[in-house]
Amino acid sequence: MENDGIITGNDGYLNFLSKEKFFSDHILNNSRSMLSIINRNYIYEKVNTTFCNAHRGFANSIIGKSLGDVWGNDVFNNNIKQNLDRCFSGAVVRYEASFTTPQSGKRYFEVIFRPFPVESGEITHLLAETFDITDLKLSEKIAIEKEEEFRKFETNLPIGFLRCNPDGRIIHANKAFMMIMDSRDENQLCFSNLRDYYVDEGIFDIHLEQLSDSKPKVFGRIQLKTCSGNVIVCRVSAYMSLTQSGKPSYVDFSFEDSSRELMLESRLLQAQKLETIGALAGGIAHDFNNILATISGYSELLQEDLPNSSPSTEKVRKIMIAVSKARSLTNQILTFSRQLEQEKVNVNIYDVLKETIGFVRSVVPSNISIKSFFRKKDTSVYADPTQLFRVFLNLLTNAIQSMDEKGGTISIRLSVIKGQSVQNELNKNIVADEYVLVTFKDTGTGMDPSLLRRIFEPFFTTRDVGKGSGLGLSVVHGIISEMGGEIMVSSEKNIGSVFYIYLPVSTEFKEISKIPDKKKTILFITGNKHESRILSLALESSGYELIESSDKDQLVKLMSDIKSRPDLIVYMSDAERIKTDDLLGIYSDSEIKTPCILITDSNLDSMEEKLVNSGIIKQHLIKPVSLKEIKNAIQLSI
Amino acid sequence: MEGKSEIQGILIVEDEKDLREMLKVSLTRKRFNVFEAENGKDAITHFKPAVTDLVITDLIMPEEDGLKVIMKLREMKPSIKIIAISGGGKAGPGSYLSLAKALGADVILSKPFSVNDMISHIEELLFVEQG
Repeated sequence: MENDGIITGNDGYLNFLSKEKFFSDHILNNSRSMLSIINRNYIYEKVNTTFCNAHRGFANSIIGKSLGDVWGNDVFNNNIKQNLDRCFSGAVVRYEASFTTPQSGKRYFEVIFRPFPVESGEITHLLAETFDITDLKLSEKIAIEKEEEFRKFETNLPIGFLRCNPDGRIIHANKAFMMIMDSRDENQLCFSNLRDYYVDEGIFDIHLEQLSDSKPKVFGRIQLKTCSGNVIVCRVSAYMSLTQSGKPSYVDFSFEDSSRELMLESRLLQAQKLETIGALAGGIAHDFNNILATISGYSELLQEDLPNSSPSTEKVRKIMIAVSKARSLTNQILTFSRQLEQEKVNVNIYDVLKETIGFVRSVVPSNISIKSFFRKKDTSVYADPTQLFRVFLNLLTNAIQSMDEKGGTISIRLSVIKGQSVQNELNKNIVADEYVLVTFKDTGTGMDPSLLRRIFEPFFTTRDVGKGSGLGLSVVHGIISEMGGEIMVSSEKNIGSVFYIYLPVSTEFKEISKIPDKKKTILFITGNKHESRILSLALESSGYELIESSDKDQLVKLMSDIKSRPDLIVYMSDAERIKTDDLLGIYSDSEIKTPCILITDSNLDSMEEKLVNSGIIKQHLIKPVSLKEIKNAIQLSI
Repeated sequence: MEGKSEIQGILIVEDEKDLREMLKVSLTRKRFNVFEAENGKDAITHFKPAVTDLVITDLIMPEEDGLKVIMKLREMKPSIKIIAISGGGKAGPGSYLSLAKALGADVILSKPFSVNDMISHIEELLFVEQG
């Protein structure tokens, strides 16, 4: 302790002064700050004990020394002198400095110089106060690092985060929130009120009310309007911070975009719905087939009982035709519900697509153009080609119908994609390494979302009652699902629709049916060769030789010679150039016993009924005809 | 069938009564000796190998399904001819008919079928057997 005063016990005043000095010295020397008095010559005139301790010396070794001596001339001239001069001209100077000493490493100090005026107002001395702020500095540094870390976390988190005032004014929003809201500028958001982004503002008030107990809340999904005007669905959580007096201070919100989740949920729901309807419809179809079998069986017995000349024969035939129609309908329901036995072969999907487009081209109005883009022309899928034909034909027909009046373009694309990307896109277990993706895009009327959700349901139709069974797209869905594929649709009102079909590429060579020893020849009589070619694709691999005829003279020539005569005739009701009468004419030659299969639409005209009644038809099939059906019919006929 | 004195026996296993009766009428008319069973269990318990040459069985039935019938009867009489009929499976994808084929059904037919087609199949199966 410094005490250079003289203490005299009997002089009261001096005693008082000494006591005062003793106290103030005690305070000065025990301050944590280094204190010193510096004169105009930058010489230390007085220092406290803390100062001495820091410099590992006694007051005597410092008092009288210049600052240059104590701190080094470089440090003095560069850092200290200018601050001292400012103080001598009357200012209180405050600054931070750091010094490195071998004993204690780098230390940080806060330095304050205060002018020490004498009575005349002249500044002859200053009070220097220096204290070690190294610990403070270090914690400040850690705090900055922590904040930086948090900022990074908050910026890169894929969850929208924002802080707002209790009235909803946004104070801060992170990058993810800006992305969710389609906002380019944080400032744009910060000048706005969160309430305005709620589709239902009432919900915002409910949220605030629930938050007032200062507990974290999970609110679930709400609808938000984005900056670009879209409506999105987000999962919201929030927490309100209160002031010490319990008033709302600010609110932190987190927003998670639920679009993908919702999309997957609705797809799952859709699939479950279709499955339920399928199980129901399939069950009914199954029972119905039992009843139909009974009706058809008794009709056949009745037919046997009746003499050929009986006028009732035709009535019985009509019952049997009705049974065939009903069978065709139950088959469609079973196809939709994936309960129909199907015969599949390895088939080049490009061939089927090409034939289907060819089939449609002949009937498409001139104001509609069909463009095709095929990446690969040699990809096999394991399918019934007649079913694939139905799928493509159905989608093409729908596309044409949606552009009926104004015309437009149908773009068809075929490409092969990796199974992995199908898995990512559809969130579906994959069954093959590669998938074929076929897309049908039209520029037609498009569909409302409410319509879009239901188009794969059976008996859901947008056409007038009575036109079509409404099974079309539900059957398409059933066929694709049965093949292990997936069908998706996107549509926009007045812009058009796109259908996406994903089918697993078949790599294994599946065993084909046993090839008969001698190839049987089948003659197709048809108006449109594309449809019969689809059947050819499948039947040729089963060992049949297929020939076509669409010309009467050619047919007569073929049939007149036993050598060129086919083993079987398949007559399709769209054969315009060979009428049913022409066929009957050929069979009037009693020598000709070639079996004939008739394929018609479900509505038979009188000529076709005449043909059915004529007795030359071994099997009558109603479109759509599956590969299995035609093969059965061929086996029964030959 | 010409020149055969012995009447051939056919067992119809079908739970749908109307359909079973229709088949019985049709086959009796063709001079077959017809036995009936309304489910798989019945068919297996009352099977008479000595007088049954062919079995027509539905696939989906209560009390032992058609697949079990095919396996059991084949075991009891390996030379038996089998025709499986089904109207589309209620349980899962329609693979019953293929399974039936794999288990040894000689002919498989989807409902509704033509009785005349059925009879052609029967005659073919039994005619070939008898030489």
